[in-house]
Amino acid sequence: MSSIGTGYDLSASQFSPDGRVFQVEYAAKAVENSGTVIGLRGKDGVVFAVEKLVTSKLYEPGANKRIFHIDEHVGMAVSGLISDARQIVETARSEASSYRSQYGVSVPLKYLNERVSMYMHAYTLYSAVRPYGCSVVMGSWSENDGPQMYMLDPSGVSFSYFGCAVGKAKQAAKTEIEKLKLADLTVKDLIKEASRIIYLVHDELKDKQFELELSWVSKATKGRHELVPRELAAEAENLAKQALADIEDSDDADM
Amino acid sequence: MAASVVNAYSDPSTSWMNAPHSTGTSIMACEFDGGVVIGADSRTTTGVYIANRVTDKLTRITEHIYCCRSGSAADTQAIADIVTYHLNFHKMELGEAPLVESAAAIFRELCYNYRDSLMAGILVAGWDKHKGGQIYSVPIGGMVQRQQVSIGGSGSSYVYGYVDANFKPKMSKAEAMKFVTNTLTLAMLRDGSSGGVVRLGVITEAGVERSVILGDQLPKFYED
Amino acid sequence: MATVLAPEIPAPGFSFENCQRNAFLAQKGFPAPRATKTGTTIVGIIYADGVILGADTRATEGPVVSDKNCEKIHYLAANMYCCGAGTAADTEMTTQSVASQLELQRLHLGRAIPVATASTILQRTLFRYQGHIGAALVLGGVDRTGPHIYCIYPHGSVDKLPYATMGSGSLAAMAVFEAGWKANMSEEEGKKLVRDAIAAGIFNDLGSGSNVDICVIPTTGPAKYLRTYEEANVKGKKQGNYRYPIGTTAVLRQRVIPLEVESVTVTPTQPMEVEPSSSRR
Repeated sequence: MSSIGTGYDLSASQFSPDGRVFQVEYAAKAVENSGTVIGLRGKDGVVFAVEKLVTSKLYEPGANKRIFHIDEHVGMAVSGLISDARQIVETARSEASSYRSQYGVSVPLKYLNERVSMYMHAYTLYSAVRPYGCSVVMGSWSENDGPQMYMLDPSGVSFSYFGCAVGKAKQAAKTEIEKLKLADLTVKDLIKEASRIIYLVHDELKDKQFELELSWVSKATKGRHELVPRELAAEAENLAKQALADIEDSDDADM
Repeated sequence: MAASVVNAYSDPSTSWMNAPHSTGTSIMACEFDGGVVIGADSRTTTGVYIANRVTDKLTRITEHIYCCRSGSAADTQAIADIVTYHLNFHKMELGEAPLVESAAAIFRELCYNYRDSLMAGILVAGWDKHKGGQIYSVPIGGMVQRQQVSIGGSGSSYVYGYVDANFKPKMSKAEAMKFVTNTLTLAMLRDGSSGGVVRLGVITEAGVERSVILGDQLPKFYED
Repeated sequence: MATVLAPEIPAPGFSFENCQRNAFLAQKGFPAPRATKTGTTIVGIIYADGVILGADTRATEGPVVSDKNCEKIHYLAANMYCCGAGTAADTEMTTQSVASQLELQRLHLGRAIPVATASTILQRTLFRYQGHIGAALVLGGVDRTGPHIYCIYPHGSVDKLPYATMGSGSLAAMAVFEAGWKANMSEEEGKKLVRDAIAAGIFNDLGSGSNVDICVIPTTGPAKYLRTYEEANVKGKKQGNYRYPIGTTAVLRQRVIPLEVESVTVTPTQPMEVEPSSSRR
């Protein structure tokens, strides 16, 4: 960042001479400090997995969740500042509910994504506000449209993805995701893959403790976004730990 | 409504000014295999005078959604205009054809919120890629319910029995058109404020096919 | 506070605050005074090359004919005219307001405005006022899509028809149309039919009378406003002469009585006292 300290980074409403909006870039940096979040879109649904970093042993298990229900059929996994993200969750929920009351049917994810993106983008335009320090992934499944997933970032840009990762270890996670044949995998397979990737990219040296959050929305859940049932989640988590242990063993063998 | 009708009879010469201009009506919609058939008579009355004998009560909302209007002509035209506007806007935002369910929800919202000042009984019918041919009835008061077959307007009271006796799910297009024509003809024969021609519309994935059955081509029933 | 220099500006638009009181009074047998309603015959038809509008010219206030030659065909735009029945003031002001909106629209867009635009403006206006604007209109005009006749009712409903009638004489006029209208009539045939329809209203409806006004709007060329197209009620000529010629009565005798005129002039001897304090000269 060559132009640091030149004063062009004080406001979201001002460009730098080389055409950048630093406040937005700083917001993206805030997201990079957060635990890794991945979203995988398989053939019959979408799976979210979150590496929720636990910064204190005094927290109850399950505190400060990072996966949210937006509507019956839409889930959202968030990374970045949790308080900012909660506001995005609220916005998305009110958009979804207003759509439902106006049009009598559940909101199409494509449309919800447009609205939430527009909302986040509005916070990159004015000097009186700062951009949101979070990235969110939204997913849903319906009989007509199949699985859908979008990721939106603090700049207000959003794309539809087969697989996406955001947070601390997004590079490592993306490399792992790229190895998967997403279009052929079912959500049952994907929760195992997702757990494995989260365990794999977790940096034990820097962040001691973390909780794995898992949710899905698929044909099997009848298009409802739900947390992965405890037994299935435990199974996936055990497999992930096993896979990690295997790698460490083979690493040891190599040495 | 009844009071103004009595008034109109007592002085037909001034009823054109005072009587609400309403569609004492027979309307109908019927699901069939592949879409819906909608139908209506063509009579509009002010008091005892037929203000329009060739009215089109089947009003376009979108390419695949129509409504059948009954009640006050002014109210139903205004509502249809507003819903058309909303759905056009919605279509642009969504980038695809709106659902029939959504159209019904907007009709319901208007009819419920303004229930004290509106006189409107509307059948919303159409086709969408989610649920195919659908019919939603939005009667006075602003309720909404999906029905496989629905009738409305003053003439409908006379033909509930006929509809119950003759409706079959999954009829062919020709069967459904015949069924709607027969029902409306019977309603028009018994209801004084329904009459004229039968207007039909067939809504399928391909769009809308409109037709008219003139008075002398209507099916014949017991007439003595 | 309201002062002479800064008077309180009255709220714009209609006030409905007395409606409940008036309904109560009416129920007790004190009906509200009626506004002037033009018992009327107005009509419009589509002919081969455009539209023809027609109207009678009688305005009434209750049983009294308040104007024997009023204008009921109102100008909206060069390609559009509108016949009005119902409350005279309402038809007049509504059509004037629409005419102004249409002209602004035309200037803004730089082209002739379609008839559907006028119909929609009228429909929305009348619906907004829920029938309190007592205007029943027959709108006729031509645009790029051809000739159009719209019937617009006071509550804001609209019918689009090839021929239409409105007003208290609409039944009589419609009878003429139902018998005589056909598609693609010539201008002369059309004018004759419209005249007949209005005449039917004038002669068979108490609320209609006096003359026939006609307005022809061809798709090609300018509109022809034929004010007093026909005087339907020309006063008949007296068949005989009932005046007595001078000299009919015989003079039997004559006597002249001279009048003596006596003139007396009175002059005051003293000047008149004008003010108590003034001194005498």
